Amino acid sequence: MSETNSIFSSYEKDSKFYDEIFDEDGNVKKVYQTLFDLYSGHSSQDYARLNDKAKASFFNQGITFQVYNDNEAKEKIFPFDLFPRIIDPKEWEHIERGVLQRSKALNHFIWDIYHDKKIIKQGIVPLDLITSSANYLHQMIGVDPPGGIYNHISGTDLIKHSDGKYYVLEDNIRCPSGVSYVICNRTALKRALFGVFNHYNAHTVTDYAQNLLEMMETVKPRGVDEPNCVVITPGVYNSAYYEHSYLAKAMGVELVEGRDLFVENDFVYMQTIKGPERVDVIYRRIDDAFLDPLEFRPDSALGVPGLFSAYKKGNVCLVNAPGTGFADDKAVYTYMPEIIKYYLNEEPILNNVHTYHCSRPDELKYVLENVDKLVIKPVDEAGGYGISIGNKLTKEEIEKVKKTIQASPRKYIAQPIMSLSVHATYIEESESFESRHVDLRTFCLLGANKEFVLKGGLTRVALRKGNLIVNSSQGGGSKDTWVLKSKS
Amino acid sequence: MLARVANNLFWMGRYIERSEHLARYLNVNYFSSLDAPNDKSQSRKHVLHSLLFMANGPVDKDYELTEENVFYDIGLNPETPYSIINAVKYARENANGARDLISTELYESLNKFYHFVLRYDSDFFVKKGLYDFTTQVTEATAVLRGKIRGTLLHDEVYAIIMLGVNIERATQVVRIIQAKYYDALNAQGGYEDKFSKSYEWTTLLKCIESYDMMRRHYRKTPTSITTLEFLILNDDCPRSVMNSLVQVKKHIEQLNLDKNPQKDSAAFLIGKTHAEYCYKTVDTIEGNIESFIEDIQNTLFEIAKKIEKEYFQIR
Repeated sequence: MSETNSIFSSYEKDSKFYDEIFDEDGNVKKVYQTLFDLYSGHSSQDYARLNDKAKASFFNQGITFQVYNDNEAKEKIFPFDLFPRIIDPKEWEHIERGVLQRSKALNHFIWDIYHDKKIIKQGIVPLDLITSSANYLHQMIGVDPPGGIYNHISGTDLIKHSDGKYYVLEDNIRCPSGVSYVICNRTALKRALFGVFNHYNAHTVTDYAQNLLEMMETVKPRGVDEPNCVVITPGVYNSAYYEHSYLAKAMGVELVEGRDLFVENDFVYMQTIKGPERVDVIYRRIDDAFLDPLEFRPDSALGVPGLFSAYKKGNVCLVNAPGTGFADDKAVYTYMPEIIKYYLNEEPILNNVHTYHCSRPDELKYVLENVDKLVIKPVDEAGGYGISIGNKLTKEEIEKVKKTIQASPRKYIAQPIMSLSVHATYIEESESFESRHVDLRTFCLLGANKEFVLKGGLTRVALRKGNLIVNSSQGGGSKDTWVLKSKS
Repeated sequence: MLARVANNLFWMGRYIERSEHLARYLNVNYFSSLDAPNDKSQSRKHVLHSLLFMANGPVDKDYELTEENVFYDIGLNPETPYSIINAVKYARENANGARDLISTELYESLNKFYHFVLRYDSDFFVKKGLYDFTTQVTEATAVLRGKIRGTLLHDEVYAIIMLGVNIERATQVVRIIQAKYYDALNAQGGYEDKFSKSYEWTTLLKCIESYDMMRRHYRKTPTSITTLEFLILNDDCPRSVMNSLVQVKKHIEQLNLDKNPQKDSAAFLIGKTHAEYCYKTVDTIEGNIESFIEDIQNTLFEIAKKIEKEYFQIR
């Protein structure tokens, strides 16, 4: 029936990629069947109208980000897709356990690195991997954060490869963003197509803020009964300001800027209409470098002078802790299976993309023989520099890459070329649903005796045909993501 | 509540209120001049001058008083600090700074209002859109007032916004009285008592959306005495200076629970001014309109300054 329906008629099936909706024979998967039938019942005009309405709703609510063009600021919405992604309970259970496992392992790892460095002494992770990272903060050595938690909030990016398995692409444990879109997407889809929710039993996503606040309260400083929690933002011009204000509003706590806070005798206060009020836990959406001009970048106008000293004394908790950034970069990522085993004595639940270290002779041999099937990355470059994607190279280029690797094998790692799964996505130009690549960002909270993984997540979608980059700066959108309740 | 955010809320209230008065003054004053009973009131220069005076004070001699210039500068010119478009822009910017404290509904209405003004075609506006634009602006501000009253907790947040709204309302009403007083002085003639029965008093009442209610209250054609009494001293008139003072007093008391405020405080000055107005009569005002205007303008300015110092200071 899919062939005859105009809404899905331009949907191309490509066996190179894992398709979330259709199986290998081109039939709609069972879990999507009802949704597919419901969606087929609407005309292309219906979708054009619903799409416009959804866009207007985001725009009017001011759920936008600024784009600067020719010195003129333009407000843009983060495109929202009308077709939701469904994750069944079993699959989700696997993701949830895996995400939590990684977050905990990373927390152990960060603690160890800023204290005993056992993992380095035992030769499991090389020392220069850590010390060469710009995000490693010597100021954090020996600091004990309240509750022993560093990465309170983790955003783990997952993809589904052509083998149908989930792989972690990266762990974001500095200031992962996007959770407000998870909630907005749910609201927008409810407004547009409320009927579809009657046929599926999806977990709510609106409990995130409540859990975030509860988590923050578990990491209160010593001697505080009812902690005063706040969110700190760089200000209204920050591209994620909507998210900052949403989270503060949803938790019912103040949204502060650096200039609202001051430190006196190593305690942090905010200036209210009735004078100073003590602040105990700060969910900071400001990067490490800008937190405190006395300790980090002296030119920071966003931070609070003396904040780090108050933190070191244990008088205020920062969420996430400063200095977590060394642990979520590319080089450390390749050691994640070892890190998980070392601290938790468990096998990793979620797959890491396999990494070949060219420093190891047998792996180097494999890499040199299979350059066309691999992505070659220098270990010490950031921002995508120096990356070669094997299947996009000419024969001459492959030879050149081989020579470069052979010249200094220690500098390179290689990974198989990963392909993101595809999903039905509404495309304005063709007024129909086409296949586009998607990933999934999950949100995990870690407190003192408190764990929470948001049942749902941000499914990001690359709106440009064939594009594998889902970032919003590259024309990416997002989908509502349903985690179904188990039937029992 | 954070001091900085309180400042944002205060100014959000002021700018919303300001945009409304500007729009209504443009609308009512311009359209009632088209068939005014005497030549002076009907003259384009006279009315355009009045519009500009109300929006921005004394008019520069070199200013070319054409419809297009004046409408554009007051309505949609992003370069003139007194324009409606800037008032709405500042209102939204201030709301952005306090976004976590106000309701989603209020923010969404203000945001829609902002985009409406931003997208309004300025060429259409100066040629044909004066009525449409200004009417829609006044409608939007009425919606915002409804959302402020109907969707916010009536707590400190509300009190701060209402302080801003009412201080701005009193300021704008006094400014409009001032502008129309000069108009009445300049456009005498036609009737037997040239000043006190000037047509401009009717326009003044309409500019403050109080004409119908004033007729109901006095059952007489407006004169300088009755108009000023109604707009300044009648505490039932929702736009009178007196009513604004009552509101300001009520809301400062909500913030400041001290029954005996300190001598130099905002609450003290507000209480004192309110008490003075309770025992004012119109005959003391009517003969000295200019000094009355100067006094109340200074007092309102002083009140705002004290509020700022006491509540909005950050280190």
